[in-house]
Amino acid sequence: MYHGYTGNILRVDLSTGVISRELLDMQMAEDFIGGRGLASRLLCQELDPAADALGPENPLIFGTGPLTGTGAPATSRYVVVCKAPLTGTIACSNSGGFFGPELKFAGYDALIIQGESAAPVYLWIDNRTVQIRPAESLWGKFPTETEAALRSLTHPSAKVACIGPGGENLSLLAGVVNDGYRLAARSGVGALMGKKKLKAIAVRGTGNISLHDPQQFWKATLDMYQKITADPVSFGSFRAYGTASLVSLINEMGAYPTRNFQSDTFEGAANTSGEALVEGILQRNRACFACPIACTRVSEVKEGPYQGRGEGPEYESIWALGALCGVADLAAVSKANFICTDYGIDTISTGATIACAMELFEKGALPEQELGFPLRFGDAGAMVRAVEMTGKREGFGDVLADGSYRLAVRYGHPEFFMGVKKLEMSAYSPRVFQGMALQYATSNRGACHVRGNTVAAELYGIPRYLPPEVLEQKEEMVRRPFQNSTAFVDSTGICLFTKFAITHREICALLAPATGLDFNFDRSIEQGDRIWNLERMFNLRAGFTSEDDRLPQRVSEPAVDGPRAGSRAILQEHLQTYYLLRGWDKSGRPTRAKLEELGLDDWWGVCSDT
Amino acid sequence: MIEVTVSLNAGLRRYRPDLDIGQALPLHIPSGTNLHELLIQILQIPPAEVAFPMVNGIKCGLDQPLVAGDRVALWPPVAGG
Repeated sequence: MYHGYTGNILRVDLSTGVISRELLDMQMAEDFIGGRGLASRLLCQELDPAADALGPENPLIFGTGPLTGTGAPATSRYVVVCKAPLTGTIACSNSGGFFGPELKFAGYDALIIQGESAAPVYLWIDNRTVQIRPAESLWGKFPTETEAALRSLTHPSAKVACIGPGGENLSLLAGVVNDGYRLAARSGVGALMGKKKLKAIAVRGTGNISLHDPQQFWKATLDMYQKITADPVSFGSFRAYGTASLVSLINEMGAYPTRNFQSDTFEGAANTSGEALVEGILQRNRACFACPIACTRVSEVKEGPYQGRGEGPEYESIWALGALCGVADLAAVSKANFICTDYGIDTISTGATIACAMELFEKGALPEQELGFPLRFGDAGAMVRAVEMTGKREGFGDVLADGSYRLAVRYGHPEFFMGVKKLEMSAYSPRVFQGMALQYATSNRGACHVRGNTVAAELYGIPRYLPPEVLEQKEEMVRRPFQNSTAFVDSTGICLFTKFAITHREICALLAPATGLDFNFDRSIEQGDRIWNLERMFNLRAGFTSEDDRLPQRVSEPAVDGPRAGSRAILQEHLQTYYLLRGWDKSGRPTRAKLEELGLDDWWGVCSDT
Repeated sequence: MIEVTVSLNAGLRRYRPDLDIGQALPLHIPSGTNLHELLIQILQIPPAEVAFPMVNGIKCGLDQPLVAGDRVALWPPVAGG
């Protein structure tokens, strides 16, 4: 009898049409939990990391966690794991909404999609009945249209994850879109779904999730709801302003990267702030499954050239399509955000790629005749036009759709690529947040803030305040309470945003009665450490080295303006300390002793030479 | 007296609803006034509501004395991702 877990893994081979069900290996679940950890472990047994990320052998794995769908607060999360088309690293993109819980109610902890279909198909999962069906009529449709069409083709309450036209045209910026508007966005996972010709997955689940100790579980759940609804962040400003509340604050700190990271202060921040969003275009909030916070914005631009409606824009999207491109027009930023959702492409990487193109254009490296129009920083109309062309792969959009790394290299200026391991950085300047500098450099999916959001410590004081400019103790802070802890949380199925109100320990206190397994704080940190090292081993096998744990030169140079002018990302000294704390050798490879400690040595077979 | 500017953000905007978003309010205050005194005596904002007091872009304690030309910016508890 499984508790928390369903005990089933669904395997679909799109090349052969064979659909099968496998039992979850409970030892694997104990070691890797679920979600990010379990799906990454499954990927490592399915794929040689050196393989082509867009080849048929690269599986697309959907994973839920043991808490997904249980009804504890914000237990909406699912992950999409594969070798990343954009970066070549391991990919794990994460999303909320209702699709993940529904997959769990249908009876699956994970879904492995392998092979490739010759023609467009969708997958219809009606509890235990699973069919591969033709999807020619859905090809080209936006996610909201796809969802509506699939509900009439399958069941009115089906939940849908799909790709937009961006995934269909193999944009390396494409994500997987669920519930119409939410993206498992980063690393190009949608391109792999498009390569498999899998337009969508519709799922209907009517089963229950068994709990080991329901009385204790619901007591812990009630405590958690009470804590979240009493918390001034989670139930106050986060509910009122969403993630966009950070725009004005991070900008005030001089930590808001602007014009492709040429500056860290944006003069148009007030116009594109969370306050401007709430007072200008917000229609209402929306919540994911079992979430009391409801941070999602539903917005509408009703007048002018940028009319549109949808979810968001979130802090990161406002930044990438706004400040990073020098655009101070909230309506234009919102329109660009809605277009990204329609085409199913990542707002961060899309905005960053256009910002890179703007710098190439302004510095004379990208001729106007190739672009088709001038693309200058601050030109809202040109930015929106470029986003739409990117989604369609139309004109120069065909180049933009492959991301900023390939763009910068193609035009002879790799130094204009503002990312790590081919993934674009996020909206926290690493010149200011020294913890984030180390996090960007070492994150297993490339420069990403949510693999270890050190801003929690460096600004909010969670778990304790370490000022952004302080260097001491940052290596251990990045490693343990952020990277390892986050790897654990991402594997449970609960949303990271609960962590403003509840602790890692309290999440453990939910998992034990849910699953009957011995989840405690120390063990969960070890599980996070195991998952982090597994991802690292995947990347090393894929060909990455410590040379890839590098920040762009530009952020190692002093900030030119703002309250922290003169500050710069300091990485090199910290990298060796970080490696040492991780139990890695000087070239960033886990030692044999470290792998043995984590139980990763016997099945992997490749260890450090030391 | 010294002149400083103050901006109120997110939920704190309700204390000066007439200000535009991001607008800095110029204030003349006695020399030596600290942030805590500014909040209570001049702005009438309960200090407990202020989670991120920034002076010239740097987070600081409420006991920080203000000097002429300081740019004060205040936030309630906020977070994001």
